[in-house]
Amino acid sequence: MTPERFETLAEAHGGDVARWPAAEREAAAALMIAQPVLAQGVLARAATLDLALDAWAPMAVTHDLRERVIAAAPGARRRSPLAAWFWGAGLSAGLAAACAAGLAVGVVLYDESQPDEAVSAALAGYDDFTAAVTGEGA
Amino acid sequence: MDPGDGDEALLARVAAGDPAAIRSLVARKLPRLLALAGRMLGESAEAEDVAQETFVRAWKQAGSWQPSGARFDTWLHRVALNLCYDRLRRRREVAMDHLPDRADDGPGPDRGLQARDVGRRVAAAMAALPDRQREAVSLCHYQEVSNIEAAALMGVSVEALESLLSRGRRALRAALADMVEP
Repeated sequence: MTPERFETLAEAHGGDVARWPAAEREAAAALMIAQPVLAQGVLARAATLDLALDAWAPMAVTHDLRERVIAAAPGARRRSPLAAWFWGAGLSAGLAAACAAGLAVGVVLYDESQPDEAVSAALAGYDDFTAAVTGEGA
Repeated sequence: MDPGDGDEALLARVAAGDPAAIRSLVARKLPRLLALAGRMLGESAEAEDVAQETFVRAWKQAGSWQPSGARFDTWLHRVALNLCYDRLRRRREVAMDHLPDRADDGPGPDRGLQARDVGRRVAAAMAALPDRQREAVSLCHYQEVSNIEAAALMGVSVEALESLLSRGRRALRAALADMVEP
């Protein structure tokens, strides 16, 4: 590789030889060994531009953009984050709260003075039903 | 690792509606596509639109993707670049009627060279490049696409790509001379 070609490649591809065309890297490495001062000067100059270019950070992906992209994906309908929360932790917590509330109401409404009446009423209904089915008492 | 490694396997799962695969593909490709659109169009809502629209097309393609054809990553870049060029054309049509004042992108007497300032200067210098030179620099420097792949994406020879890169980088060096020249 000639020094001119080395400079041309640095001008086009920058100061990092690893990012040069694969077919030319070996010859470039040979020139770097043969003419280290020249090669170092050329690469350092190209690298200053690389460094400046890298100061321009890429646009950051926002949460909103990511979710819009995912929402358009094939397959199952995507749930909104709120719906996902509801069907997951929210629903579980809701059911647990409902169970707890039901238990509390049951405890409050439970009247120890009337248990036998309630059981008797239920059994009386059962007796009527049994009699109707078996024909007893007809 | 090559940014295209494992894309085909992921695509097959995406086509089946696998939510984890969808999120994985988005995490892998969206930042790259948004970066490319941002370099080509400047940081704008348009760049986000391009990234989103590229994915809409990718989702449609997922079920019929043929691994024997072009690499998926290359195909995504091609779609994104086409969408960028659509918008650049529209901008030129609008600019014919309403030429905006040129932004001051030169170094002011009191301007320090903080990273954010340098980034702004670079963005302005890139925006001032002809589209094809900006595309070449975006692909090779920022997207780290190989010269052969970049040339194929742009539909030019590797020699023509090298020429575009050289001219682009020379113009950038001139625009940023106060920062990059000793």
